[in-house]
Amino acid sequence: MIKIQSLRFYYPKSKTILNDVSLNFDSGNIYGLFGRNGEGKSTLMKIMAGLLFPKSGSCQVFGENMSRKHVRCLHEVFFIPEDFELAALKISKYEEVNSVFYPEFSKEQFYELIKEFSLSPNENITTLSFGQKKKVLIAFGIAANTKLLLMDEPTNGLDIPSKSQFRKIIAGVADQGKCIVISTHQVRDLHSLINHLMILDQSKVVFDKSLFEVSEHLWFGKPSEKDKHTVIYAEPSLGGKAVLPKLDKDESDVDLELLFNAVLNEPDRINYILKKRYYDASV
Amino acid sequence: MMHQFNYKRIYHFIRRDLTIRKSSISTALIVISAILFVFFLINLREDYRITSGEFTNLFGLFYIPAGVLFTFSICKESHDSKANHLYFVLPVSVYERMAAIWFTTTILYTAVFSVLSFVVGQFAIVTGGILFGTDFHLLPMFSGEYLGFTMFYSIIQPVFLVGALAFKKNRIGKTLLVFVLVFFGVMIYNLILFTMLNYRYDVLPGNALASEAFGLAQSDFSVFGMLFFLGILGPVMLFVAYCKMVEKEV
Repeated sequence: MIKIQSLRFYYPKSKTILNDVSLNFDSGNIYGLFGRNGEGKSTLMKIMAGLLFPKSGSCQVFGENMSRKHVRCLHEVFFIPEDFELAALKISKYEEVNSVFYPEFSKEQFYELIKEFSLSPNENITTLSFGQKKKVLIAFGIAANTKLLLMDEPTNGLDIPSKSQFRKIIAGVADQGKCIVISTHQVRDLHSLINHLMILDQSKVVFDKSLFEVSEHLWFGKPSEKDKHTVIYAEPSLGGKAVLPKLDKDESDVDLELLFNAVLNEPDRINYILKKRYYDASV
Repeated sequence: MMHQFNYKRIYHFIRRDLTIRKSSISTALIVISAILFVFFLINLREDYRITSGEFTNLFGLFYIPAGVLFTFSICKESHDSKANHLYFVLPVSVYERMAAIWFTTTILYTAVFSVLSFVVGQFAIVTGGILFGTDFHLLPMFSGEYLGFTMFYSIIQPVFLVGALAFKKNRIGKTLLVFVLVFFGVMIYNLILFTMLNYRYDVLPGNALASEAFGLAQSDFSVFGMLFFLGILGPVMLFVAYCKMVEKEV
């Protein structure tokens, strides 16, 4: 669906933001794009949406170069930016003037989501808070039924109940064969939602694995005394929780925050273990 | 190509642009109507008629500046860092965007402004009849001058369209500055060219013969200049605006 090859990007008079980035995104997955602030997550999302052009390398969406802005591609992509302003219209009018551009747009789905977010179609967008505007855009993005949905920090500005509502809604649409890419630095917000994790650090992709692979090879929890020598990364602040090779232990829930910190601190060890069978890793 | 140019999408894009700016367009039209109405009434007080010349003078006074401002207003969304993500991600090709912007700011704008001026003028005539007893007459709207104004606007509008797309801040000022600089640049270039070609014939600028030579050159080459101005400047500027839109990033 999306094929990024040897992509390099920098802003004018600025250091390189993305350097030799190669990634693939397939349909039917929810990707979490993680990274510290300023690591290029938003930039990568904008390149995938055709809003920024790579300095070198390529970003192909459905086999087309996104920077050429082919309507055929744009029909299948919706991007929810982190910071945005919506036109000063009623929600229903906003839907009316923008939905016509998306052939698969479902009005029923949009108004159902608007209702679920406790909003009214007759409300004027100017009177809404930023979080409510974000809900309008999320509802629109989902109802557009594009094959690719890009969301940059979608939970920023949402209150705690809305965050779990967001998770529920996204989980509901994930089964429809869409490819959803969510970029965030709030790792916990995507707990039990994503099934593939990508981490950017120092302009490069340092981690690109499915959570299935992670749970197959890594174990998260409090290590016993006999396991202490196999600990890859531990964090006392999280009650002594650690990341270990799974070996013969039972499968554990993937702790995204711990995994994220572990990858940033021990990228080579983590990737080595995930590449090899754990027997090799333990040698 | 079929995917990249669709009349229905152009129509939807125009509708979207106008709906978003509905309130500011309405306010501007009300203000312009009020000012035109007052000026038409003042004209009526003098000779109890609005002549063709009076109409086109008033029409031109507002038509071109308001059109330039409208062009900048339509392109504003592409520079707004909070709104341009959603603007550029809309499934509309660059051809369609340019066609929609050009149609809205040239054809549609001219039609609406002409009808508005006519209605306001006619209303002023009726009001004048009630207030000062002026004779009722139809506003003489269409004339050579009127067509000249619309033609001139359609030629210079693409220049402002380029400025509206190219500059992020102080867009009108910068466009005017570039316009003036290009104008002086062409003048100086012409002067240099004229001097180089005529220095043997004692017709250098400052010489009495120079003005005569300039006059002859004008009568010989003004047709080419006019053709260049009418046939090339507008389309070239539209092409430049298209290129600016193609390479636009957020």
